[in-house]
Amino acid sequence: MATKDRSYKAEKVIERLGKKLNRQVVGSLVGCVHCGMCTEACHYVLANPGDPTFAPAYKGDQLRKLFKRHYDWTGRVFPWWVKAKSVHTDEELEELKDIIFGKCTNCRRCSINCPMGVDLATFNRMARGLLVSVGIMPEGVAVVSKDQWEIGNQMGVLKEDYLETLEWMEEELQSEFEDDPSMTIPVDKEDADVVYSINPREVKYDPRTIADAAKIFNLAGENWTMPSEGWDMTNFGLFSGDDDLGGSVARRLYEKVIDLRGKKLVISECGHGYRSTRCEGPNWGQMDVPFVMESSVITMLNYIKEGRIKVDKTVNNESVTFHDSCNNARSCGLFEEPRELLNLVVTDFREMYPNRSENYCCTGGGGAMSMSEYTPHRLKSGKVKAEQLKATGAKYVVTSCHNCVDGLTDLIRHYKLDMKVTQLVNLVSEALVLPEKKVTIPEAAEAGLLAGKKILVVDDEPDIRIFFTSVFEDNGATVFEAADGDEAIEMARKEKPDLITLDLNMPGKDGGQVFEFLRKDDELSEVPVCIVTGRPELRRLIYDRPVRPPEGYLDKPVDEETLIRNSRKILELA
Amino acid sequence: MAEFTWEDISIQVDEDGFMEEPEVWNERIALALASTEAVNELTEDHWKLVNYLREYYQQFGIAPMIRKLCKQTGFSLKEVYDLFPSGPAKGACKVAGLPKPTGCV
Repeated sequence: MATKDRSYKAEKVIERLGKKLNRQVVGSLVGCVHCGMCTEACHYVLANPGDPTFAPAYKGDQLRKLFKRHYDWTGRVFPWWVKAKSVHTDEELEELKDIIFGKCTNCRRCSINCPMGVDLATFNRMARGLLVSVGIMPEGVAVVSKDQWEIGNQMGVLKEDYLETLEWMEEELQSEFEDDPSMTIPVDKEDADVVYSINPREVKYDPRTIADAAKIFNLAGENWTMPSEGWDMTNFGLFSGDDDLGGSVARRLYEKVIDLRGKKLVISECGHGYRSTRCEGPNWGQMDVPFVMESSVITMLNYIKEGRIKVDKTVNNESVTFHDSCNNARSCGLFEEPRELLNLVVTDFREMYPNRSENYCCTGGGGAMSMSEYTPHRLKSGKVKAEQLKATGAKYVVTSCHNCVDGLTDLIRHYKLDMKVTQLVNLVSEALVLPEKKVTIPEAAEAGLLAGKKILVVDDEPDIRIFFTSVFEDNGATVFEAADGDEAIEMARKEKPDLITLDLNMPGKDGGQVFEFLRKDDELSEVPVCIVTGRPELRRLIYDRPVRPPEGYLDKPVDEETLIRNSRKILELA
Repeated sequence: MAEFTWEDISIQVDEDGFMEEPEVWNERIALALASTEAVNELTEDHWKLVNYLREYYQQFGIAPMIRKLCKQTGFSLKEVYDLFPSGPAKGACKVAGLPKPTGCV
């Protein structure tokens, strides 16, 4: 109800704010001490140094003042001191819209750089949801949300058009593989090990990525399928802050996978889709999801590591850098796998700085690509990103997110950089070694698979050394052990092993130092190394070193089969 | 909204360079818009694609699926991307005077 000094919409926003407040949001609203740390973290601020309205703390204040005025005791007692202020008109709500949709991509770089742990992006998203609930939002967001609600995918693609496109891609594959009957795109196959979900843009505008993925699944001998419904893994609920839409879209996909009795849902390279489907959807949709959810980056990596597909990285010999998508990396922890995969399919990978959780936004996140009205802001805010890209000197930037693909493409054009954007699925597909017959490495069942090989096991944990040694010896290898870095180097010099398994976290000289030493040693530089660690985040100790990357990685705990298969793979390739 | 000028042409475009008033489109405007898409010359093939996009848009009010585009014009996917390097959603639709397609593109 509109009161005499407040519009209906303003009244509703204030009322609904109260219902949205949980402890995390309140913690973030009251936690800010305006220290200014977030200013340095935000790409908008870096491109607009004289304009305080871009500062994350300022943007947060626009919601914070409402909270203080209506829901916090300080604002009732001394509103002038805590800057508490209400909202009265629709025009004020429109101004708020331009800030929370137009001056922030919810990339969360400020959130991780806040010493008070204030997650601005979380309550910026909540504020978007409040405005959306009273119908105030950019037109692009409204159109896409409507399509996702009503047609079931964000681009209004009809079921028959989707299915026809999959058939078309199947025909293309068949013609490429001379009617190989295994080159199919199965739809709605029950009990599949992998159900593959995509972004509607792939089917509507560029289905080459669907064909590439299908090629990879088929060559890996995967028992896979694509769903006829619910196939859109993107979710505008993440951008609009509308949890109901988020839940509805996510549930549609989950229910279809359950219907098909799929064992694993694989999500194509889309940052917000991955975050929405894997990390947020079960919460929005209030559902226990009974199957595994995985990024296609991890699926492809495992196929290579398990020997299910073979790749020749020399095909991709241009210089390549990697851009971490905010949703994949900062919000869902997908840091190392894309790098590991890249190193397997390209010859010249160059890190971009800063990277991983500290990487800067592509400027296309948070739904920005569908809000043309803010494009000038967006392009200007990309200054720091453009500088980062340029400094790599790379010809290609790879990213596992469609928004990043578009955001970066726009920046490359705007800042006139000599670069192209691509995705891992394209590079893996390019690098595929197409065998006469499918090449698979036989299961490690019989003894003697490592006969005649000398293996050095480096680990400070005696249990691991005993386990590795017994597995390797059972398979015919001669094993040497080292418990620390110095011993490892001494032993490697003396025994000249065929393979070294190297723990990263050790007292004294750590695995990273040992690795670099080995790589730079004239006699040992060619010895294959398999990094073994219980802390995947430590892998950066390896990547940042100026030497050839290791031949393999294993995460602890390691089972016998994986250990044997990976060791054989490394030794066969060497 | 912004104004885009090229030679003697001046039109209203959105912030991404797509036409605000698709109804005033003509072939010279297409040439003007193509200059922003790294397409220096509009060949017969370009026109075939552009004209199909326009007809489809006039009939249905949206951009067609790439499947329909290829089927009706006889171009392969690769040919479409060769003609318009930034793709059907951005390059071709822009030159054909369509508004920017909605969603994550």
